[in-house]
Amino acid sequence: MFRNNYDNDSVTFSPQGRIFQVEYAAEAVKQGSVVVGIASNTHAVLVAIKRNAEELSSYQKKLFPIDEHVGIAIAGLTSDARVLSNFMKQQCLGHRLTYGRSMPVRTLVEMIGSKAQINTQHYGKRPYGVGLLVAGVDDQGPHLFEFQPSGMTEEMVAFAIGARSQMARTYLEKNLDKFADCGREELIRHGLRALKESLVQDRELTVDNTSVGVAGLVASDQDGTTKVEPFTVYDQQEVSAWIDSVADDKEGGASAAEGEGGTMEVDS
Amino acid sequence: MTSIGTGYDLANSIFSPDGRNFQVEYAVKAVENGGTSIGIRCKDGVVLAVEKIVTSKLLKPNANKRIATVDRHLGVVYSGMIPDGRHFIDRARDEARAWRDTFKTPISTADLASRMGGYMQAYTLYQSVRPFGITAIIGGFDSTDEPRVDGEVGTGPSCGAGGKVAGKTHGGPFLYMIEPSGLYWGYYGAATGKGRQAAKAELEKLDLGGPGGPSLTLEEAVKEAARIIYVAHDDSKDKEFELEMTWISGPDGPTKGLHQEVPKALREEAERLAKKAQEDDEDDEEEDVEGKEKMEE
Repeated sequence: MFRNNYDNDSVTFSPQGRIFQVEYAAEAVKQGSVVVGIASNTHAVLVAIKRNAEELSSYQKKLFPIDEHVGIAIAGLTSDARVLSNFMKQQCLGHRLTYGRSMPVRTLVEMIGSKAQINTQHYGKRPYGVGLLVAGVDDQGPHLFEFQPSGMTEEMVAFAIGARSQMARTYLEKNLDKFADCGREELIRHGLRALKESLVQDRELTVDNTSVGVAGLVASDQDGTTKVEPFTVYDQQEVSAWIDSVADDKEGGASAAEGEGGTMEVDS
Repeated sequence: MTSIGTGYDLANSIFSPDGRNFQVEYAVKAVENGGTSIGIRCKDGVVLAVEKIVTSKLLKPNANKRIATVDRHLGVVYSGMIPDGRHFIDRARDEARAWRDTFKTPISTADLASRMGGYMQAYTLYQSVRPFGITAIIGGFDSTDEPRVDGEVGTGPSCGAGGKVAGKTHGGPFLYMIEPSGLYWGYYGAATGKGRQAAKAELEKLDLGGPGGPSLTLEEAVKEAARIIYVAHDDSKDKEFELEMTWISGPDGPTKGLHQEVPKALREEAERLAKKAQEDDEDDEEEDVEGKEKMEE
C-alpha cells in the first residue's frame, strides 16, 4: 500500500526532489466534478457540473461569487474551497475599503497562492485539497486563472480541472484560437461543449446539474466607456436555453472524445 | 552525490554519519528539474533571463512572469518549485522595504543576498520545515554615489578612520546566486536549472571577469543571454518555451538604474539572433559530418 517512505508529510523531499503529499493533494482535485473556464477579450466564463449524493438530495454548489468582479469554480474538497473563498472575499472587501476600487484579479490569485505555499513547507500542515478556476475582470480586462494545491497559479486562456477534465481540455485546445473574439453567448456555449466532453456516458447536461458564471466588460450606452458586468451565477431555468443551444451539437463531439481515453476515471 | 541516505534522509536538519543533510541535497534535485535561469553581470549592468517551459497550450502567452522586481534596482529570477520562488520573492520584498524603513537608503545587492541567504539557511535547521526547492539569482545595480557619512561636515575627513580613499568607486552592477542550503556567492555569470551545465559552459566563454572588469556591454549581454537560453534548451526532449528577460543599467544607461523588462523589440532581435546562431551551428555540424565522410572516401 505504501508507495514509499517519503510521502507521509509535506516537509519531506523524495530523493528525486518531489513532495508526494503535494502531488497527492493534486489528485484530490481530480476527484471533484469537472469545471471549465474560458476568457475572451470581453468576458470570462465559468461552467460546472454539479453532483448530488443521491437521487433525492440537492446538488453541491460549484461556483461562488467572491466580489463584484470575481468568481471561482471549485474542484476537490469543498470545505477547503470555502476557507479560500472566505479569505478571498475578505481580501477583496479590504482592498475596496483601503483603495476605493476593486482588487486586480492577479493580485487576489497570488494571495491564495502564497497562502497555499506555506501549507506545503511546514510540518503539521497539509496542502489544500482543492483546485480553483478564478475568473474576473479588472482594468486590464477579463482574466482566467488556475490555482493548484501546490500554490501554483497561472493565467490561462481557457482551462478545465476535475474528473475527466482532460477531454474538456482537448476540446479547448482545439478551439483555442476562437475564444478571444467570442461574444458572451458563444463563449458560454464553448464552455458547455467542453463540459459535455468530460461527461460520463449516459449523463447529460440538465438544468439541475449545470451552473454557469459570467463576468464581463460591456460598452456603456451613453459614451464609449466600458462598464463591468458583475460576476453572476446562473442555475436552473436560467441555464436551460444555453443547454438547449448545445444539445445534439455534434461539432467537435465524437472526434474530440478519442485520444485521451486512457485516463478513464469513474465519476461517483 | 546521488547516493541515498538510508534512514538519515527522512527528515530535514538531520546529519548523516558522514555529515550530510540529505533533505537539502534532495531540494537541489527539485531545482535541477526546473527551467534554466541565468544572470550576466556586464560592464554597465546586469541581465537576467529564464527559460519558461510551456506546459500547456492553454496558458496565456507572455502573461505569467517569472522574474520579479524586489526593489527599484533589484531583480530576482529562480529555478525550481515556482510557489517556493514566489514565497522567496515576497520575503525579499519585505527585506528590501524594511531596510529602507530602517536605514533610509535602498538595500545593496550584497546585503539582500546576505539577508535572503540567511533566510534560506534557516529552513535547513528545523524538522518542522523543509528547505526551499529553488536556487535564486539576484541581480542589482547599487548606487554609484559616494555614501553619505553620518554627521558628515563638508566633504568629510580626507583620510583616517571613516576617511575617503581617493579614486575609490562605489556601487555598480552585482550578481548573486543562492542555493537551497542558504549558500551564496557573487558571480560574473550565474546559471541554474535543467540546462545549467550547457549555460555555464557558454558563460565561461564570455569576457565577464578579469582584472580590467567585463568588456561586455548590456546590449551584448542581452543577446548573449538569449543565445545561452536557446543553447541550454534541449529541443528534442523539452517542450516549447518562452524567453523572459530583464535588465538593470546604471543611472546613465537605458533603464536609469531600475530593474525592468527588456523592451520587446530588443528581446525579439536577440531571439532572432539566437535562433540564427543555433541554425548556423547545426549547419556546421552537418558540414563536419559530411567532411568526415568525404575524408573516409
